[in-house]
Amino acid sequence: MKHFLLGAASALVVTVSAASAQDYPTKEIQGIIQWGAGGSTDTVMRSVTPHAEAILGGTVVMQNMTGGVGAIALNYVADAEADGYTVLMGAENPLLYKVMGLGDKDYSDFTAINLLARGTPILVAGPDAPFDDYAGMMDYIKAHPGEVRFGATGPGGLPSVITAMITTVEGGLDVISVPYDGDGPALTALQGGAIDVMPAVLGAAIEGIRAGSMKPLAIFDTEKNAKLPDAPIVTDFNAGYNTFLPWGPFFGVFVKKGTPDDVVAKLTAAYAEGAKNADFVELMDNRGFTMMGLSGADAEAFLAKWQQGTTWLLQDAGLTKASPEEFGIARPGK
Amino acid sequence: MDALLAFLTVFTQPELLLLVGLGTFAGVYVGAIPGLSVTMAVSILISFTFSWDVYPAISLMIGIYMGGVYGGSRTAILLNIPGAPSAIATAMDGYPMALRGEAGQAIGVTTVMSFIGGFVGIAALALAAPLVSDFALKFQPRDYMLLAVLGILLVGSLSTGSLVKGIFAGALGIAIGAVGRDPLTFAERFTFDLKLMESGISFIAVMIGMFGVSEALLQLHHVDKKSVRQTIDRIVPSLATVRKHLPLSMQTSTIGVIIGALPGTGGDIAALMAYDHAKRVTKKPSRPFGQGAMEGLVAPETANNAAVGGAFIPMMTLGIPGDAVTAIMIGALFIHGLNPGPMLMIDKPDMFWFIVGALVMANFFMLLFGLTGIKLFTKIVEMPRAVLIPLIMLLSIVGAYAVNNSITDVYWMLGFGVFGYFMRHYGYPLGPVILGVILSRLLDDNWRRAIISEREDLGRFFHGVFTSPLSTVLLVAVVLIFVSQTPLWAHAKARLARKDKA
Repeated sequence: MKHFLLGAASALVVTVSAASAQDYPTKEIQGIIQWGAGGSTDTVMRSVTPHAEAILGGTVVMQNMTGGVGAIALNYVADAEADGYTVLMGAENPLLYKVMGLGDKDYSDFTAINLLARGTPILVAGPDAPFDDYAGMMDYIKAHPGEVRFGATGPGGLPSVITAMITTVEGGLDVISVPYDGDGPALTALQGGAIDVMPAVLGAAIEGIRAGSMKPLAIFDTEKNAKLPDAPIVTDFNAGYNTFLPWGPFFGVFVKKGTPDDVVAKLTAAYAEGAKNADFVELMDNRGFTMMGLSGADAEAFLAKWQQGTTWLLQDAGLTKASPEEFGIARPGK
Repeated sequence: MDALLAFLTVFTQPELLLLVGLGTFAGVYVGAIPGLSVTMAVSILISFTFSWDVYPAISLMIGIYMGGVYGGSRTAILLNIPGAPSAIATAMDGYPMALRGEAGQAIGVTTVMSFIGGFVGIAALALAAPLVSDFALKFQPRDYMLLAVLGILLVGSLSTGSLVKGIFAGALGIAIGAVGRDPLTFAERFTFDLKLMESGISFIAVMIGMFGVSEALLQLHHVDKKSVRQTIDRIVPSLATVRKHLPLSMQTSTIGVIIGALPGTGGDIAALMAYDHAKRVTKKPSRPFGQGAMEGLVAPETANNAAVGGAFIPMMTLGIPGDAVTAIMIGALFIHGLNPGPMLMIDKPDMFWFIVGALVMANFFMLLFGLTGIKLFTKIVEMPRAVLIPLIMLLSIVGAYAVNNSITDVYWMLGFGVFGYFMRHYGYPLGPVILGVILSRLLDDNWRRAIISEREDLGRFFHGVFTSPLSTVLLVAVVLIFVSQTPLWAHAKARLARKDKA
C-alpha cells in the first residue's frame, strides 16, 4: 500500500511537471545578466530577449547581478530550480573560473540555449603612439623593453588572453600591464595617453577608430573584418597565431542542467528565432560581432574547445591558479 | 538652424513633453526613496521602452535622471536619510533646518539651487562640450588618485566635533570599501574565506543602514516628544536670497560640471567637494555649518545637478560614460540603432541638440514638481514618531533589498544601522564613513595604476607629477588644504598679521 501510494504520488509529480513543461511558460521568467547595466553583455541580452519573448509568449524579467567576475550570477542560477524559470545570460568568463580559482562551477553545469555571437579582438593604440601597426609595435617594444603600457582587465579577461597569445607566439613581451575595471575605462585611458596599447573587443573600439582617436594595430582573426577592411590581421604579421585563432569572447543564454527537455526546446526555439530578427542582426553587425547561434551539441563542442584552448594558453603563460588538468580539461590536440 | 530645430523638438511635440514631465515626476520620487536609484530605474526603462522610438525613450530617461538626482535631497532634509549618495552633504544642513521647522524653506532653496546648477551643467554641455571632454581626458591615474586624496581631506569638514573620531570613521569607510574581490587582480581581501564577503559590501546598504536605521533607532529615544511644526509660508526663496548665493552657486556648479564630466567620478563626490568648498570660502554663513546653514544646501545641490550635464559631456563627445546612468544610456542608444562615440556628434548632431533640449525641459519640470507638493511632504516630518519610525525601517529594508535583490544586503544594512547608532551615540560622525567608502576604490585603484605605470618607481612617479601641470596643481591643492588644517597655518597667519601691524 505504502509503495503504491509513493508510486502514485511520484506518477502524479511526473504528470504535473510534464503538464507544466507543456504550458511553459506559465509565469515570469527571470533573466539573470552576469554583467552590469550598459555593458556589452547587457546590451546584447536586452536587445535579443524582447524578440525571443514574442515567440515564447511569455515575459522575461531581466536583472543585472554583478560581482565576482560574474560568479555571483552563475551561482545564483545554479542554486535555483532547474525548471527554466531562471535563465543565465552570460559571457565567456565562467569557462575560466576553475583554473583562475574564482569558483568551482562553469558552463558544464548548464545547458546552452543559444550561444548568440562572438566578438573579435583587436589591438589598438593611442593616436600619439610611435608605431602604426603590429610589426612596428613589436619592433618598438624590442627597442624599448619595459616601456610600453598595455591595458589589462584582470586575470582571465580578454586582454590577458591576448597578451598570453602574443607572449606564446612571439616568445616574450616585455611591457607594463596596467589593470582597469573593464575595456571601457581602459579605452578612455588610452585616448588620454595613460596607456599606449589596449587589446579590446572590436565593437568597443570601432567608433574610436573611425573617429581617428585610436589606431588599429592588428585584428586578432584569420580573416579581414568587413567593418574595418583596412585594418591588418595579425596572422599576416606572424603565421604562428593560426594555432589560436579565431578566438573571441562570446555571449550566451543558459539554463541549469536538468531542465526538462521540452522547456529547453521551447527556449532554444524562441532564442534561435529571436536572434534572427533584422534589428538585432543589424545591431550586432554594427558592433562588429559575428553571429553564431549555436545550441545543443554544437554549443557543447564550441564551449569545450574554447575552454581547452584558452585555459591551456593561460596555463602555459603562467597566469592560472590551478592547472586545467586538475579539472579534466585536456590539452588541445590531445 | 537645424540645431535649433532639434533643440526645440521636445518643446513642440506634446508627447515628448509629457514623457519628460512624467519621467521627472517619477524621478523625484524614485530619487527620494533610499535604495531606489536612478541607475536602477533607467536600466528597467531600457527593456520597457525597447519597442519605442529613440526620442521618446531618451526623453523619459532624461526626465528620470534629472528628477532623481534632485529627489535625493527630499528625504535628506526631512528625515536625515539621503535618498541617494549625492544627497549625503545635503542632509548635514538640511535636516537641522527641518528640526527648526524650516523644512519648507530648505526644500525651496534646494529646488531653486538644483535648478540653477542644472542649468550651468546644461550650458556647459551645450557650449563647451568638446573643451571639457578634452580636459577630462587629460586626467591620468595619478590625477584621479590626487583627487581622491583631496576628497579624503574633506573628513575635516564633515566631522563635527572630534577630528580624531572623524579620521577613524573615514579610515573605517576606506576599509569597508576594500572588502571583497579586488577588481584589478581578483584577489580576495578581508573576505575571511566567506562566500558572502566575496562580492564586497554594498555601498548603498551601508549608507541606508548608517543614515536610515541609525536615525530611526536614535529617534526611539524620544518617541513621545512632539514633532516640530513646520512653517511653510516661505517656500520660494526671495530674489535677494538667490542673488546672495549666486556667486557661491556658480563656483560649486563648476565643481559639479568638472567632477561630473570625469569618467569615474560622479555627483556624490561632486556634492561633497562642493560642500567642503562652501565651508572654506563662506566667511559668514547664515548659521554655523552643520546647524542649518543655507550655504550648506546651496553647494551640494547645485553641484550634483550640474554634474548631470557634466556626465553627458564625455558621453556625447566621446561615447564614454560620465557616470553609471550615462553608461546605461549609451547602451540604450546602441539598442536603438545609434552608435555612440566620437562620431555621433558629427553623424547625428540632431541627437545632441535633442538631448540638450530634453535636459532643459526636465530642469524646468524639476523646478515645477519641486516647488509644488511641499506641503504634503512636510507632513511626513509632522507625523507622530510611532508611525514615522516603522516607516523609515520599512523604507530602509525595501531600499537595501532592491539594490541587488539580495537579502544579504538587508542584513548588512541592519548591521551597519545598529553599528551607526552606537557610533553616533559615542560622537563618531557618520559622514566620513560614507566618504571613505565612496573614495576607497578611486584611491586604491588609481594609486596602483599610477605606480604600476611607472614600473613601481617612486622617483618616476614624482617626476610624472611635477612634469604635468594638472598633477602639480592638484598636489599643491592637497598640500595647501592639509597645511591649512594644521596649527602651523594659524601660527604663520598670526605672525604675518603681527608683522603687518609693526
